[in-house]
Amino acid sequence: MRAVAAIALNTFREAIRDRILYLILAVAIALIAVSRFVSLLTVGSEVKIVKDLGLSAISVFGLLATVFVGVSLVSKEIERRTVFTLLAQPVRRWQFVCGKYAGLLLVLAASIAVTGAALLVAVALKGASPWGLVPAIALIFVELALVAAFAVLFSSFTNPILAAVGTAVTYVVGHLSWSFDLLEKRMPGAAGRVLCRVLHAVLPNLDRLNVKAEAVHDIALPAGYFGAAIAYGVFYSLAVIVIASLVFERREFV
Amino acid sequence: MRTLTAAGLLAAAVLGAGVARARIVHIEDERRGRKELLFLPNGKYLKAISLGHAPLVADGLYLWAIQYYSDYDQADRYRFVEHVFGDVIAELDPRYTDPYWLGAIILTTEAKDLEAGLRLLDEGFAKNPQEWILPYLAGWECDRVGQYARAAAYFDQAGRAPGAPPALFRLKAGMTALGGDLHEAIARWRDVLDDPRNDDAARAIATRQIRRLTVRADLRDLEGAIEAYRERNGHPPRRLEDLVRAGLLPSVPLDPDGHPYAYDSARGRVSSIADRVLG
Repeated sequence: MRAVAAIALNTFREAIRDRILYLILAVAIALIAVSRFVSLLTVGSEVKIVKDLGLSAISVFGLLATVFVGVSLVSKEIERRTVFTLLAQPVRRWQFVCGKYAGLLLVLAASIAVTGAALLVAVALKGASPWGLVPAIALIFVELALVAAFAVLFSSFTNPILAAVGTAVTYVVGHLSWSFDLLEKRMPGAAGRVLCRVLHAVLPNLDRLNVKAEAVHDIALPAGYFGAAIAYGVFYSLAVIVIASLVFERREFV
Repeated sequence: MRTLTAAGLLAAAVLGAGVARARIVHIEDERRGRKELLFLPNGKYLKAISLGHAPLVADGLYLWAIQYYSDYDQADRYRFVEHVFGDVIAELDPRYTDPYWLGAIILTTEAKDLEAGLRLLDEGFAKNPQEWILPYLAGWECDRVGQYARAAAYFDQAGRAPGAPPALFRLKAGMTALGGDLHEAIARWRDVLDDPRNDDAARAIATRQIRRLTVRADLRDLEGAIEAYRERNGHPPRRLEDLVRAGLLPSVPLDPDGHPYAYDSARGRVSSIADRVLG
């Protein structure tokens, strides 16, 4: 456990030294700040637009941070040969993967905490109560944690460019997985329908973690939904990290 | 020499870009007023490809629509208002209420299409049954064109929505009276009087309206019966009681103060001083 914590902290330190992260954060905060001036263009709805823009900025720029930082986590260590030094220590490969993932989660948590706080302040300055947005921001973190798990998985066996493409595709597919449900109803053959059902069940369904609309319109989530959504994200991410560890265990570096 | 070449190339590039830009601005100015609305897919499809950011896409389209419909140089710009606000923005974020009323105002006030405006407000209320403001606005739109019975129905719908102020039922009663159904209007003002949510001021208004409408309704009933008597007998009745005997009225009404209505048998005209007293 100490090894995982040490790798996580090191990953976090390394990531926050990366200028790209600050650029992403600055753009996200600037976007949230600028959204306050949207009132010049609209008729009513100023607070709603600030909330929508803020939540989407947190989500999209969080995704960019995940992709930029996450995809090179493992592959950079291999490329620089630092992985050999690290694995020569009494560190198991799964500890290395889990440490990297935990470090990425710390980066995400810090970035979402900063942008989330900026949004809450922007909404409060508009005279509205910002606290209804907190569950949506929390689930954005869970969603990005799941995407980050895929980034680590792809990073464990391929190069950064392919890993970035794979992570972005995961995000897109995660938001379109409902289409397999739709496709299943139109499939003529039984085999196709089974395949659609399996894909719908197995692929990550990121829309289940998306409660932005409810938060913006102050609509209460159904009882137990928030907890179930967090559990879905946590267990799914755990499964992906286990697979990433298994893949990394079998990887040969020569 | 290389620096000079680079500077020359840079100057040529800047000049070329500037000339091209000026040409584009000129062409666009010439086309002004004939710009077609770009094809905008249904919100259902946009929602599918918005990757979880449908409310933000709805905001973007709402802002764009406000700017587009604020440009009075656009010819034929009202053709797609219902599509933009109803099929696209409302599908992307059905709980976004501002586009329903703004779209409806554009449709009824500028495009002069009352039915399309009401359709948009109906759609908004069907998707947001707590937003009484939508049928409330529909009620005023109907009032503006003199469709009072329809306006009363909209105010009734608004008044029944959760959290709606009880004053909406006063508007319903008022519109019913404007529509000409005086007995129905009196019954609705009595509902206002019986509603425990109303304060003394609202009750005083209801009492005055019931008094005024009762006089109007009685005079109208009496005048109708006198006219029927005149058609049947060739002359007006000598006394109002003759109308009861002729089966034209169940009884002769008294005014709200309990006094009989004044009757001029020579001219066949009935009147009351109670309709000039507002209590």
